[in-house]
Amino acid sequence: MIDQTWAERAAGSKLECEVNGKAVSAEITPSTRLLSVIREDLGLTGTKRSCEIGRCGACMVLVDGKPVNSCLTMAYQCSGKKITTIEGLAGEEMLHPVQQSFLEEGGYQCGYCTPGMIISVAAMLAENPKPSMEQIEEHMSGNLCRCTGYGGILRSIERAIERGGQSDDRG
Amino acid sequence: MLLNRRTSGDRWRIRPDGPGKVTGQMPYLTDMSAPGMLHGAVLRSPYPHARIVSISTEKALALTGVRAVLTYADVPGLNRFGIAHPDHPVFCEDRTRFIGDAVAAAAADSIALATEALKLIEVEYEVLPVVDDPEAALAEGAPQLHEQGNVQHRNDYRHGDLEAGFAACAHIVEEIYQTPRQMHTYMETEGGLFIPEENGRLTVYSPTQHGFMDRMQLARILDRPETDIRIVSSPIGGSFGGKDELNVQPYGALLALATGRPVKLHHSRWESVRAGLKRHPMKITMKTGTDAEGKLLAHRVRIVSDAGPYSTLSAEVLNFAVEHVLGPYRFGAAEVTSVCAFTNNGMSGEFRGFGGNQAVFAMEGQLDRLAEKLGMDPWRLREINLRKPEDPGPLGQPISRTDGVRQVWEALGDSRLWRERESLKAISAEASAPPGLPVPPWIKIGYGAAFVMHGAGLGVGIPDPAGGRLRLAKDGKIEAVFGYEEFGQGLIASLEQMLIEQYGFAADDLRIVIGDSDVVPDSGSSTASRATSMMWQSLRRLRAPFKGKLRAEAARILGRPAESLKPLNGGVRDIESGELLLTYEELANQAEEEIAAETSFFYPTSPVERVGSHFMYSYSSVAVKVEVNTLTGRVRLLDQYHAVAAGPVVNPQGYLGQIEGGSGMALGFTITEDAVMDKGIYLTRNLDTYLIPTIAELKGTFEVEPIEKLPEGDEYGPRGIGELGSVGLAPAIAQAIFDAAGKRVAKLPVDPQLLQERISFD
Repeated sequence: MIDQTWAERAAGSKLECEVNGKAVSAEITPSTRLLSVIREDLGLTGTKRSCEIGRCGACMVLVDGKPVNSCLTMAYQCSGKKITTIEGLAGEEMLHPVQQSFLEEGGYQCGYCTPGMIISVAAMLAENPKPSMEQIEEHMSGNLCRCTGYGGILRSIERAIERGGQSDDRG
Repeated sequence: MLLNRRTSGDRWRIRPDGPGKVTGQMPYLTDMSAPGMLHGAVLRSPYPHARIVSISTEKALALTGVRAVLTYADVPGLNRFGIAHPDHPVFCEDRTRFIGDAVAAAAADSIALATEALKLIEVEYEVLPVVDDPEAALAEGAPQLHEQGNVQHRNDYRHGDLEAGFAACAHIVEEIYQTPRQMHTYMETEGGLFIPEENGRLTVYSPTQHGFMDRMQLARILDRPETDIRIVSSPIGGSFGGKDELNVQPYGALLALATGRPVKLHHSRWESVRAGLKRHPMKITMKTGTDAEGKLLAHRVRIVSDAGPYSTLSAEVLNFAVEHVLGPYRFGAAEVTSVCAFTNNGMSGEFRGFGGNQAVFAMEGQLDRLAEKLGMDPWRLREINLRKPEDPGPLGQPISRTDGVRQVWEALGDSRLWRERESLKAISAEASAPPGLPVPPWIKIGYGAAFVMHGAGLGVGIPDPAGGRLRLAKDGKIEAVFGYEEFGQGLIASLEQMLIEQYGFAADDLRIVIGDSDVVPDSGSSTASRATSMMWQSLRRLRAPFKGKLRAEAARILGRPAESLKPLNGGVRDIESGELLLTYEELANQAEEEIAAETSFFYPTSPVERVGSHFMYSYSSVAVKVEVNTLTGRVRLLDQYHAVAAGPVVNPQGYLGQIEGGSGMALGFTITEDAVMDKGIYLTRNLDTYLIPTIAELKGTFEVEPIEKLPEGDEYGPRGIGELGSVGLAPAIAQAIFDAAGKRVAKLPVDPQLLQERISFD
């Protein structure tokens, strides 16, 4: 049986964190996942729900700059953290260079895996601006795409590496 | 010329839906919500086959926050759905026939409450024996799943004297090919939002490949006029055929109407696996023979297909397979017998390739086996037997004439990959060891190729409407209005690109309107590699009337002769100087009546009786290089080349993406994908055990060579390419495995145990 007082106390707990640069707070229980806070409480539906077991990467977000599957991240673990979703990746007037590369190279089709894919690439390049093919393979194997066969995604990654963090063609 | 961004130049464009997709700003229909929204959930059968003794919903209804619990008794109209043969119960009455069968549905204030409500629905079942194999289903004494028995469909084809043909053969090969229960694995699972409107209408926001078909089916279930239902069906997070049939829509619609409140449903991955369609597992037995020179004399085929419990498009898929087990070759005599059986396995249905994937895997496998017997190069054997442009289609029917077969045959022979194979063969014939760096003895390299002739359109005997509308809207935008769906293939981008390139409009002049049954004409389904062809043909028909009306109205407003004007980018221009004389906004404001043109016609079909026969075909050849690791039994795809003869490239980025993406799915079909069932129960429940290719499997080299040339006077333009890329890879890999390791693969996905070898280290 669930300990009633504990359950009641837990139900009232609050997550305080920063999402896309803004302070947010949300009512959570111990079993609330970050994914549902993002999608349902904050209405940031760019983060997608697909397998919910951390296999496909569609729900990937950055927590303090590190890519995580938000379906496997408990909301309470994010207290005080800085979370970036796909909606928060671009600058005020300019797309993130990884977004720009996906746009130009056609690194998407249906687009449902795209937010998680772009988050994952952005995290990889932030840590390692010139990854080898083996490093790309290792880093990106947790992001599934069913439409593209990854050809456009690989070209987008190459383009983003060439850009070296620049969004315009001077990069 | 290979297709890529560089060779495409300015024709490589950023898709209009791109910015919304890369920023996460574009809402999918499963991202939507509405004030006061309830959450729906469906109770499904825990048994693959059972009699329903009783259903009680009282306890579930008594739970606070539960707003409706529905069963078959609450369906006002036809308690069945199915695009071609409506035999799939919305809610089962007295019997469940598969593990995804719906028995009841609940709507509640939260997902948790709806799920809890399902637990409180009391259903008493009496378990029945499970029919889990199509051949067992056809055996005498098998439990019968439907009144009509267990035969869902049969289709036979014969020509020539088969016995005499085999008697004259110098070489005969026989093989049984088996293909897996492949899952579409669209990243967005099924779902949607269902809103009862104040005016009594119902709005359905749910992905589908043919909004008007959903509207017809829902009207039949709800017993209300089609005009009372609005279907908003795009954008879609992947479909591949899997969302063409109804899935959540009946439950969402019934729950929304029962509660008078918006209802949202969104399948978990497990529910998607359990209830969703899969590719038909097929067992294809072939006996094929040639004379001493390699001429195909006789071909006998038996296809057994597993429909699962209900029909959807199983019969149509089987018809397609019958046509495609004959393929692009000419036989002295051929006989195809085929049957699709009902079982208590998962639902089979429409899936990119539509039975062609299974058929071509078998057909091409026969050619490769015969070439081995003949001691002949497999590609040369194909040349001997290829159809000529004037030859009839696979079923003897007239087809649109192209030289696609010869074009893709030659292109493959000239490809870098095939020349690499030729040069390696020449070297290894001279030397005992292959050149290059020493490789471990358990790593083996091989090459293979396959041929595809793939029909497009729904075929003879199936209503296949097409058409669309252009209009100058009040705000000055030129609206292209089509009843097609965007599930990622780039349909919106292709439409925009055609309007820019063929009409001279600018992207800013345009507004593409699709996927809303209240405003679009019925352009037919976005299936069967047909939508781009039909948009192209529509725009060709609309060009003169629409541009003529723009010009005439501009002439009246400007007081100039129409012949001196041309509607182009930005507005109507002087035909000589190109000077902009009237913007589209000005034209819209000053026009006396709406400027619009509409066309409607049918997809071209062959003038024969045989249902499903195709008229338009696309052709492809596929070459691959693979690595077989005989320690692990794993196969790696290193390099692939696809020649595609399908008329002009409408949209280079989309074309490349369709071939690459189709091929990626085909790799899964070949090496890893199978939704495994045991006695009617799915053992595969999610993507941890259902393995679609990752970037690691698909990082190899990839070349696509489109061959755009069509015969002089061809009226049909671009042929479909949406399915083609998903067909030829499997047989090409199977041959490459044989080339590498000497093992024949007849069952997919490839079992690594088949390829593992004892290695001697002395």
